[in-house]
Amino acid sequence: MPVIEVTNVNVTYRVLMNRTSSMKELFRDFLKRKARVIDYVALKDISFTVDKGEVVAILGRNGAGKSTLLKVLAGVLPPTKGTSKVDGKIAPMIELGAGFHPEMTGAENVLFYSALMGRDIQHVRERTPEIGEWAGVSDHMDFPLRTFSSGMVARLAFATATDEQAEVLLVDEVLSVGDADFRTKSRTRMNSLISSGAAVVLVSHDMSAVRELATRAVWLENGHVKMIGNPEEVVAAYEAN
Amino acid sequence: MKYAQLIRLLVNRELTLRYKRSVIGIGWTLLNPMLTSFVLWVVFSFVFASRLPGTQQYAPYLMAGILLNTFFSQGVTQSAESIANNGPVLTKIYVPPQVFPISTALAGLVNFFIGMIPLGIVCLISGQTVAWTMPLVLVVGICLALLTAGIGLTLSILYIRFDDARNIVTVLLMILMYFTPVFYPISILSARLQKIVALNPLTSYLDIFRWAFSNNATVTASDWIYMLATSLISIAIGTSVFKKYWPRTVAML
Repeated sequence: MPVIEVTNVNVTYRVLMNRTSSMKELFRDFLKRKARVIDYVALKDISFTVDKGEVVAILGRNGAGKSTLLKVLAGVLPPTKGTSKVDGKIAPMIELGAGFHPEMTGAENVLFYSALMGRDIQHVRERTPEIGEWAGVSDHMDFPLRTFSSGMVARLAFATATDEQAEVLLVDEVLSVGDADFRTKSRTRMNSLISSGAAVVLVSHDMSAVRELATRAVWLENGHVKMIGNPEEVVAAYEAN
Repeated sequence: MKYAQLIRLLVNRELTLRYKRSVIGIGWTLLNPMLTSFVLWVVFSFVFASRLPGTQQYAPYLMAGILLNTFFSQGVTQSAESIANNGPVLTKIYVPPQVFPISTALAGLVNFFIGMIPLGIVCLISGQTVAWTMPLVLVVGICLALLTAGIGLTLSILYIRFDDARNIVTVLLMILMYFTPVFYPISILSARLQKIVALNPLTSYLDIFRWAFSNNATVTASDWIYMLATSLISIAIGTSVFKKYWPRTVAML
């Protein structure tokens, strides 16, 4: 039973030619019949599945549709056609710390971020000291986030996102958080999440990380799947391209 | 409901964050309407105070208007902006986007209720008593929160699609305020203008609020019907418009 099942997903954005976001200009352009709506195809016929414990890496140039695909998987962007089914809890590790607020304290941000991910606040409240401890920011948990260094923010976000076992991890270039020590620590935690049955979709430009972690790779080009299969082969073909 | 906890955190954040770095913090929630009312009272009491009928007092009349108008106009603009402001979250984590405008409207409701304290004080100072119908203010507040959330939900879609929507809304809200008897007694208007002002749903909300709080206005059954109907229609339209256009709008965030 696959945890993630993506079938024939298409995403088209409607874009206005010479896009105006002002009502006046839009009105004027419509009168002159200058406004044209074109469909920009961001994803074309994407199908794949991810099983428990699998790590699927998504490769591709900027604008190939990787972020759009992650948004579809996260359930944030409904596909125009096709279906995307995800079973179980998602830990979205896309731009960690989205939803963090600089004026709230570290502890408040942990609570808030967890609530956004649909976790039980009561449980998180008990876990907060440990989350701070693991991120190495225990002394700062009662200070506003704006007093944190950017590394501390990233560590706290990573610690919060990975504190609970999730069935699906959506990872966008977050493996390089913090200093060398924290990187090994976070790598270990990722591995333990994966070995306890999480399915991972990973977007990365770091080919060595892909070779090391992925069990399968998907190469996206201009919104469609160019190649899918063994990471060694896909990475080799991608790099040769 | 799974997201009740999130809404509670959001309301809490909305209430405390605005004044986080100020010295008296949430005390500004009490002080703000009092100061605004005081300034307007100094300016307008000469003109309007004597025009109120019978035992009605100008100071609580004015302050009730300000509290209600602040709740409405701030609630509408802030809940409309809440979606765009939380765009970075909404494009990464799945959260029902409606929680943001709803939380903003609820925070406005709480602020409105906190405002009852200074309003009560002003009432007593000006020699009026708080009426036994006071608990009905709760109904006014809830209706206004529904109205606000409904309009906010609709506008939040427009705000994302059109950058200039917010400028238009600001002007419209100002016009609407002048068509609501916030600081003037309705009796100073010509018969024709009175009819127009009476068409404004906010006039009914405000009259019911003034009547319920300290018997400072006259209210008819049609005011009640108008208030209940507009709040329900607003939230119904808001939620369905939002549901319909959100999938296409989220791609623009």
